[in-house]
Amino acid sequence: MKTESRLKRIGTHLLLLILVFINLVPLIIVLSSSLRSPRNMTNPLNWFNEFTLDSFISAYTRMNFPIALWNSMVLTIVSVVFVVLFAAMAAYPMARIRSRTSKFLYMFFLAGLVVPGQMVLIPIIQMIKGLGIPLGQYTPILMFITCSLPFSTFLYTGFIRSGVPEEIEEAAYIDGAGLSTRFWKIVFPLLLPVTVSVIITQGVWIWNDYFFNMVFITKTIDSPLPVAMLGFLGDQQNPAQWNVLFAACILCALPLLAMFFALQKYFVGGLTMGSVKG
Amino acid sequence: MNSAIMKKTMYFFVLPALLFYCIFWIFPILKLFQYSITDYNGYVQNFNYVGFSNFKTLFKEEVLMISIKNTLIYTAITVILGNIIALLIAMLLNANIRAKGFYRSAFYIPTLFSAIVVGFIWSYVYMPEEGLIASFFTKIGLAGWDTNFLGSYSKALYSIIAVDIWKNIGVSVIIYLAGLQTVPQEMLEAGRIDGAGKWKLFRFITLPMLATSVTINITLSVINGLKAFDFPFIMTNGGPGISTNTLIFAMYKMAFTDQLFGKAAALGIISFAIIIVITIVCVLTLNKKEVSA
Repeated sequence: MKTESRLKRIGTHLLLLILVFINLVPLIIVLSSSLRSPRNMTNPLNWFNEFTLDSFISAYTRMNFPIALWNSMVLTIVSVVFVVLFAAMAAYPMARIRSRTSKFLYMFFLAGLVVPGQMVLIPIIQMIKGLGIPLGQYTPILMFITCSLPFSTFLYTGFIRSGVPEEIEEAAYIDGAGLSTRFWKIVFPLLLPVTVSVIITQGVWIWNDYFFNMVFITKTIDSPLPVAMLGFLGDQQNPAQWNVLFAACILCALPLLAMFFALQKYFVGGLTMGSVKG
Repeated sequence: MNSAIMKKTMYFFVLPALLFYCIFWIFPILKLFQYSITDYNGYVQNFNYVGFSNFKTLFKEEVLMISIKNTLIYTAITVILGNIIALLIAMLLNANIRAKGFYRSAFYIPTLFSAIVVGFIWSYVYMPEEGLIASFFTKIGLAGWDTNFLGSYSKALYSIIAVDIWKNIGVSVIIYLAGLQTVPQEMLEAGRIDGAGKWKLFRFITLPMLATSVTINITLSVINGLKAFDFPFIMTNGGPGISTNTLIFAMYKMAFTDQLFGKAAALGIISFAIIIVITIVCVLTLNKKEVSA
């Protein structure tokens, strides 16, 4: 009986290792090629046959890495801060008030999830121009905030309804605290688990988005990482440039990978928020 | 008590979000309806109302039916295959084994890459003659096989669908795994004692307990599939021909390459209707199943 279960366990490990290998093969090739010098054209299947940072150095300067990284950080952090504030605030009445208006608002926000940004781009640009907002480095932030609202308000509303009982606010109410004190001092701090979830789910897509950035940002100096990657587009057809292209791919993904390994627990918890009953 | 604490003034809290949402999302969507009956080119603000002629032209052209068909294939495969693979991986991970965290991360890592980077990497994987799959075929003596994945009318669509599944499966795995961990072991034990086989245990205990995870994963992947744009845009540019045009890609091309924004808006309205109907049907069916489960 014991040997049987051990065999089964070894089988599971073996199967998982094969699956992981298939899953990661493209990334292993990318890593192995990026560690070669730009001119090394050996078959990509000969893994790790050279170790040099030449391709990385070349990619680093070509994509203006420090500037692109800074631009990405500014865009993501500013957007996420506003998403957290706006979505948490909007969810408060939607979760607390039981009326038709509140139910309508909830569905109204959620419905926005099905509309793709590509579809409404031209009217959006007109709207932004019409309001006199200049198109440039920070314009994508408006769209990042807007597009993050449907899913974030959904998460916050669900959490307040099931996890933050009204009784918690009673004592403060009796002490004469106003609505906004009750929200910011009592309710908002209790929302921390959802806030983590919103930061992670929305932060990842905002960080990786190339579309709104590509549309609004025209200057190289203003480009965040995914847009800096667009500069390598021509190299796809040119095998002589692959090693540099792959190094650029790694550089582009590195900050988020580092975040993930440092904060793994929060990533896993954040992704499953709202998806498990009870 | 409730009404005293929860006053209507609370609605002021919705204002900032509502303002952004209406100005930058809802209002532009409404504008789309207006443009769909004009010959607006997207740049010059003088256009004529042309009635339903944009819709009529669309229904006459091949691109509409092909992009509807491609979008439906894209969605069906990513939803069905993606969820089955994710659930199987999650069930393997849910076994009582070590290094669970390592495996979970290994499946999750691709979701952290930008679609741009994923597009670059997979363009190399699929490259004819020198790419990863082609080199591998040559190495194991299958040099004669056709490895032109992205340039083939019959294979290009399925090739980019595979990339989409690869990129997004990690999130589904994590959500399924979290769901599986809520299935009480005693319940499965009791079922086993009553003589239920593996399939029956899965069908009547595990799956109903997973209902919420299934709903979330399927809904998110249906929406993701219907909105598919990234990989046709980055990897195939809709080609060869129009064989990898999805609805949103076709619309984007119409608006920005052909500068026919009125027609693109009409295609947008059609896409919008398709997306809404499928999503609603899907959510209602899943909710009904979830309640009965």
